Amino acid sequence: MTAPAGDNKTPIVEFRGVTIRFGSFTAVSDLSFKVSVTPDQGEFVTIIGPSGCGKSTLLNAIAGFLKPTQGEALVMGEPVQGPGRDRGMIFQQYSSFPHLTVLQNVMFGLRLNRRKIGLDRSSMRSRAEELIAQVGLADHMHKYPGQLSGGQQQRTAIARSLALEPRILLMDEPFSALDEPTRLEMQELLVELWHRVHPTILCVTHSVAEAVYLGQRVWIFTQAPGQIAYDIMDCIPPSVGIPPLVAQERTEFKNAVYVVTEAFRRVSEGSTKDTAAESKPPEPRDST
Amino acid sequence: MAKLLNVSLMIPRKIPQWLYNIRGQVPRSVALALGLIPIAVLLALWWGLTRGIPEERTLGPTILPSPAEVIASMSDLVHSPDPENRNLFDHIGISLRRVGLGFLLALAIVLPLGILIGAFGSMRALLSQVVTASGYIPIATLVPLTMSWFGLDEAQKVVFLAMAFGIFLLPMVAKAIDNVPDVYLRTAYTLGASRFHVITRVLVPVALPDIWHAMRLAFGVGWSYLVLAEVVVKSGGLGDLIDTARRRAMSGRVYLVIIIITIIAWLADLLWERLAGVLFPYRARQS
Repeated sequence: MTAPAGDNKTPIVEFRGVTIRFGSFTAVSDLSFKVSVTPDQGEFVTIIGPSGCGKSTLLNAIAGFLKPTQGEALVMGEPVQGPGRDRGMIFQQYSSFPHLTVLQNVMFGLRLNRRKIGLDRSSMRSRAEELIAQVGLADHMHKYPGQLSGGQQQRTAIARSLALEPRILLMDEPFSALDEPTRLEMQELLVELWHRVHPTILCVTHSVAEAVYLGQRVWIFTQAPGQIAYDIMDCIPPSVGIPPLVAQERTEFKNAVYVVTEAFRRVSEGSTKDTAAESKPPEPRDST
Repeated sequence: MAKLLNVSLMIPRKIPQWLYNIRGQVPRSVALALGLIPIAVLLALWWGLTRGIPEERTLGPTILPSPAEVIASMSDLVHSPDPENRNLFDHIGISLRRVGLGFLLALAIVLPLGILIGAFGSMRALLSQVVTASGYIPIATLVPLTMSWFGLDEAQKVVFLAMAFGIFLLPMVAKAIDNVPDVYLRTAYTLGASRFHVITRVLVPVALPDIWHAMRLAFGVGWSYLVLAEVVVKSGGLGDLIDTARRRAMSGRVYLVIIIITIIAWLADLLWERLAGVLFPYRARQS
């Protein structure tokens, strides 16, 4: 089931020997990888690893909030200069602007970039309304974030990012603050949206089950300085249209979670330093 | 166990819980009634201490005039204008105009400056020490200072009030901008915002309710400096009115003007609060 990454594909995100230090602390060390796209189809990468291992640092470097101390971070072949609307980002903290309604929040980026995108007011509005309907907030369009639940706030954030049709969507533990049923709802929504829009998604999470359910490709990071210890492709068959609770009852899902958890455990115990150097991903049990 | 608890509390069931519970919820009507008690007590004390003819009172009329005398000085102030032909309402108008102009002048300087200090680390590094230190300037000393700059002009009073407002307001505006969570800025950047956008569409609007609250507090504080601004003889305004009345030993008038200044400040505060509800509905609905 594992496939060699990035053959005959254009890398949309590429790191070449990236090291990021904060003072004397090295968050990410000599990290190299490629995330590729076939035409119209981005990958869904989920990233797990021990806390403080540089997962968020990786996202921040792609978003352009951090510059690598050494090496190069490339997006679509160009070194990252700073944040931009081609890379949407969703945070764990609720980020809907408190003074704007859901509709105004979703239109925020469209308004800022009106000239560059070339949309008139009514088409901006209809695009925003369509996205709001897609994330299931049609009845809450004119509410302020203070009147929304946590899950609804994250739906707003997702719709707002997707409004600009970014090629890349970065998610930093987007569902960590949500209760379990809401989390599962959001996972299903995200998979569904990804299959519809197909951006490249890099999603940091601390839940193995979430990583396996969401990710087409799961990365397990080592302790800081962060390295990709395992790069696992297609843990489970595509889960679109299958609710998380159903998907997670299947044998292949349970097997995949077992394999990934084992790998995660080895990484946490630090015993991967050898295996990681060989970069030999574990073979997920055959699920077909 | 339940029995034990009942005994240990020793509070009869009939006494409502709001009376003794820490952070107890007092019903709205009861809260209103409770709020009136101290006012009634004060009025009763005032009336009791100043009852009877002046010679037989517990407190003499120069120390504390009776309620009737204070009210009488009201009609006196309204109906018999001073030598400059100004009655009470003219003086209130003069004072309001000075406070208003001083406040606007302060806002014109402090808002942009506070936003810059709150937004840019370089501006903060440049100015924060000065801003902190200026918070310790005794406001009263600015009276002779502004007089030496502007003489006894109207400008002196407006500038003095502006300084009193501004010194109070500047750190609060900077703080309000500084308190805007980073996540909003980062979100805006990933939505294609420029630095200018981040200031105009994120920092300022998100901080605005807090800035408004700071303005409300500053207005109350500045208003209380009015008397200092208006000590100059015959300049008009409520401060002048108090000072003149004091020198002529018209204590009824002194008390009246103090009450008027307090009531105006209180009404202004209510107005600020109401406007906040209109301007920032999302804050009200949140709770």
